[in-house]
Amino acid sequence: MKKIYINPLPVRIWHWTNAVGFVLLIATGVQIRYLDLVQAISFKQAVVAHNWIGFVLIANFFLWLGFYLFSDKIKVYHPELSPTKYFRASFRQLQFYGYGIFRGDPNPHHMSAYRKFNALQSMSYQIIMMMLVPLQFFTGVLLWDVARFSSTVEMFGGVRVVDTIHVLIFIFFTAFILIHPYLASLSQKPWEHYKAMITGYEETEDDAAQG
Amino acid sequence: MIMGKAIGLWCRMEMVVAGAALALFFVAGAVHAEDEGLSKETKACLKCHDKEGEQKTLDNNEKLSLHVSTKAFEASEHRKTECEDCHSDIDAKTHGKKKKSIESKRSYSLSMKDTCRECHKKPFKTYEDGLHATLVKAGDEKAPLCSDCHKSHALRSVKILQPIEATPCASCHEDIYKAYARDVHGLERAAKGKVAPICASCHKTHDVKAASFGDGIKDSCLSCHKDSISQHKDWLPNAARHFDAISCPVCHSPGAQRRVNLRLYDRVAKQQLSEKTGVPQFEKRAKAADAANAGLDERALWSLLTEFNQDSGTNNTVLRGRLEVRSGIEAHQISDKAKAVKDCDTCHRPGAEAFQSVTLTIASPDGRPIRHAVQKDVLNSLAAMESVRGFYAIGSTRIKLLDYALVVVLLAGFGGPLVHMTIKWLFRKSREKRLAAQQAIPPAQAIAGDRRDDDASK
Repeated sequence: MKKIYINPLPVRIWHWTNAVGFVLLIATGVQIRYLDLVQAISFKQAVVAHNWIGFVLIANFFLWLGFYLFSDKIKVYHPELSPTKYFRASFRQLQFYGYGIFRGDPNPHHMSAYRKFNALQSMSYQIIMMMLVPLQFFTGVLLWDVARFSSTVEMFGGVRVVDTIHVLIFIFFTAFILIHPYLASLSQKPWEHYKAMITGYEETEDDAAQG
Repeated sequence: MIMGKAIGLWCRMEMVVAGAALALFFVAGAVHAEDEGLSKETKACLKCHDKEGEQKTLDNNEKLSLHVSTKAFEASEHRKTECEDCHSDIDAKTHGKKKKSIESKRSYSLSMKDTCRECHKKPFKTYEDGLHATLVKAGDEKAPLCSDCHKSHALRSVKILQPIEATPCASCHEDIYKAYARDVHGLERAAKGKVAPICASCHKTHDVKAASFGDGIKDSCLSCHKDSISQHKDWLPNAARHFDAISCPVCHSPGAQRRVNLRLYDRVAKQQLSEKTGVPQFEKRAKAADAANAGLDERALWSLLTEFNQDSGTNNTVLRGRLEVRSGIEAHQISDKAKAVKDCDTCHRPGAEAFQSVTLTIASPDGRPIRHAVQKDVLNSLAAMESVRGFYAIGSTRIKLLDYALVVVLLAGFGGPLVHMTIKWLFRKSREKRLAAQQAIPPAQAIAGDRRDDDASK
């Protein structure tokens, strides 16, 4: 067993801030949208909290972006520029989660410092971090002050359209926040990935794990 | 000695005469000044016309009062105007001797209307641009003429504060006036005078426009309540948006019934769409689209919008939603600000009263609204997203389909891992067997059997 430094400090700060922030955004978002079902706090408190948390997470996003743009760790998102291999590896990863894992097949992904994510993670995180998260923040800012950004809102097709995009992404992230912790527990030891996101170090089985 | 007494007496007499002359001068001056108020000719007219009950029976049997109070006329702004300045058609030789035919009070007021223009050119021009004159031109018998609001023989200066019940608007808009008289503005006006608004303060004196057109009345509110936007920003999230999409009485007339007004709007010209004079389309199209008269549904609303866009050959016609109170009376039931709606729950919950009534509106050529009912479900429909894209209230007008999507996602989010875990648990024995078998074979073979992505990439 070898320990590799897989999650640098900025990534860990970003991750946990993001995790707590997203849970709070979902909670306050549910309170805002479903006032008839949830009355934990007032509508106004929920809106104010939602706005503040949103701005904190926007700043947090730039921490993440800055870290990856100005370090070589950006490789973790796309180690090989070969779409064929990439999609094949994604398919094998899907096959593993949907079938192999039940049989006891080994995980097709082999982790190293620069190969932190399996192909499926790499693909989905790129879509999430470079498309869905920025779009969610952008629509959130538009909805924060609709009158101030009225021309942009109009360009998007109106406040109802902007809100619908925001809600659709919210629905996606609700699913993500439920499924992500479960997928993170599908390692050899259930707490392995959790521990790595706290300490930064992940235990791997063989020498090839060294980055 | 005698000589001296005679001189003294003479001096006293001189002083008495001088004093008397001075007194006579002032009295004469005062009399002359009074004469300057009304001319000899006017006085001559008033000699006959200042008789209570003096009236003329018109062709339609209405009674036209001919009484002009000298006292009221002397106090009026028209006191320096000669009778014949306005009544130039009267021939002194035949007046009172030959019967003159007048059809009705209305026709007489109409005939006198242009006389006012002679002196009051500017206000007359603004009156002609306003809604009241438009209604007069359209033949509305109840639309006000100059003399309906201004008593020509007793016209007082606008600088003189009149009791609120003296406002001429009350005679036609009685219900609205009664609501106003009891609301915060009316009570303040009655108590404190000109610091509080009366009808003309918001609706203008002569340039009267349809109250529901554009943002006219909101501008009037803001002209007095100058800090209201910044004050609202202190506690109301998205305050500017609320100002754009909600009329002031929606919150400040807390007992009012509200509705969503979807206004046809030209997004390029940035103004409410108006029916073209002579070629009304809206009612015809709305009725055709809503044959069952149940209110326009999503499809009908969309097709109606498309028709208006086809007219212009552009896609500039959109619907601009606005929350407003349902009647003019409710718009004049403004309460003290402590009682205004501040609870977000009032509107931002499903089934909120404000969203139970929806109407589609176009402005008539004179600015007044022409409405057609819209089904309230339109506000929660995905199919109407394009049509009502500019109106959205969080919570209350949310799209139902997205709620179902969230339920599915929650089921998948909780259920997916549970199902996966269950399957893993069910297969635990076969996994253990396989692991045991793998441990039994040499490690080199076991590694070769592993399917790893880095192997595949070689």
